[in-house]
Amino acid sequence: MKQLLTVSLSDFKMIFRDPSLRIFLFLPVMIFLVINVAVPWLMREFPVLEEYKIYLVVLVTIQMTQMFGFIYSIVLIEEKEQEVSKVYGVMPISRIQFTLFRMLIPAIITALITWLILIVQPFYSIPLGSSLLFSMVAALMVPPYVLAVAVMSKNKMEGMVWVKVINLAVVLPAAAFFVPKGFSWLFGILPTHWAFQGLYKLLLNESFAFEMVVATVLLGLFTTLLVRRFSKTHFA
Amino acid sequence: MIQVKNLSFTYPGAQAPTLKALSFEISEGEIFGFLGPSGAGKTTAQKILYKILHGFEGEISIKGKALTHWGKEYQEMIGVGFELPNHYLKLTAKENMALFAAFYPKEKLLRLEDLFEMVGLEAHINKKVEAFSKGMKMRLNFIRAIMHDPEIIFFDEPTAGLDPVNARKIRDHILALRAKGKTIFITTHNMTSADELCDRVAFIADGEILVTDSPATLKHQHGREAVKVELKSGQTEEFPLKELGQNVSFADFLRQGELLRINTLEATLEEVFIQLTGKSLKA
Repeated sequence: MKQLLTVSLSDFKMIFRDPSLRIFLFLPVMIFLVINVAVPWLMREFPVLEEYKIYLVVLVTIQMTQMFGFIYSIVLIEEKEQEVSKVYGVMPISRIQFTLFRMLIPAIITALITWLILIVQPFYSIPLGSSLLFSMVAALMVPPYVLAVAVMSKNKMEGMVWVKVINLAVVLPAAAFFVPKGFSWLFGILPTHWAFQGLYKLLLNESFAFEMVVATVLLGLFTTLLVRRFSKTHFA
Repeated sequence: MIQVKNLSFTYPGAQAPTLKALSFEISEGEIFGFLGPSGAGKTTAQKILYKILHGFEGEISIKGKALTHWGKEYQEMIGVGFELPNHYLKLTAKENMALFAAFYPKEKLLRLEDLFEMVGLEAHINKKVEAFSKGMKMRLNFIRAIMHDPEIIFFDEPTAGLDPVNARKIRDHILALRAKGKTIFITTHNMTSADELCDRVAFIADGEILVTDSPATLKHQHGREAVKVELKSGQTEEFPLKELGQNVSFADFLRQGELLRINTLEATLEEVFIQLTGKSLKA
């Protein structure tokens, strides 16, 4: 636990000392303003948007999961570029355990800010327990996001490209809302599809247990595969 | 302390093995050096020994126990000084050290202030590493490798990137570590470092060990037992060391003019390496 706190504290020091990463920490504030001020204003000005508000809430909420994914991806890529990752390879700690530990803090923060946005958004009344459950599952998107970018990228330049690709993969299943019913299952291989569908049902106060279970299983599978790959490549 | 038998390793996807049946032993309290040009396999062998690379063939035992059977207590027992500086640039030197110190038992850790003072970095302890020169970063590498008082220490090119004064200091610190009974495994292509530091060296080229012995023995075996005398007039002559004091022609030559220098014709380690491998250490 002491090691986790020390590493997390160091990670945050580095994030705060890097102007290009520090700015991303203000993203939740911007998203809070968008969902609480900009979107309600748009609804009033353009009533036609009313029927799309559920999609806006879903998209904005999922955006929250990408913020810490991006920040931590860059932290890990820098660590690899500067070869500091090799030092962890000779430390008395299990690589897999260390990798999972490292993902814990960004996942917890993501769960909290996702929960907060679901609580403060002004359009839907959601039970606190259900929104917390969804936020915890949504936060499981952080580890595979971070690890996928870190595994694929040799340097920050490549990292930025992979961030774009992963962001696309995260948001793409939103298209399932706009395609004929029979085609929406095509997006099912992507865990975010189940998060989108689950949140949609949650906002409508319908049962979302099935979507949460599938999302958890898929995210767990992706995380397991990526942790293995990461622990082989990152520390050597 | 360390026994290696028939160690072979091939990187995934590579056609040829990087290491070919290496065998060597390192005794407790010994400084053992791998001397060879870049790409010879020195660092690969070390990486296997500090368990960053897996999938090797052959036998490696540390303190009589197979390397593969050691758990995390092995990493507590070893220290690694990497070839290139690798630190978090946005953290201070002290923050970097404190971060990695968190992974070791507290009772084993040496005082950070003492370590910084030891390598002359005490005035820079609270500076961000991004403001450090390469030499300063290398000194930070050095103290990170020994901060938990390890029994076995691996140094990969420990004086690379250092100015002569700091290279001298690091060599002295390595000798001091041996005096404390530490077992030290160095890789280098720096002949001076190898000659000064190592009790024994192994010449490695193309993944194979060609010879293992003390630097003094190797230089003796491959050098000439003679002296070369040079006079200020430019005249030079060589005389065998054997019974030099009774050598009349040697005495006569010295009387022919003013003496400029007398050198023994002992081989340098680099010359021995070239003789044995046909390769330069600078390759």
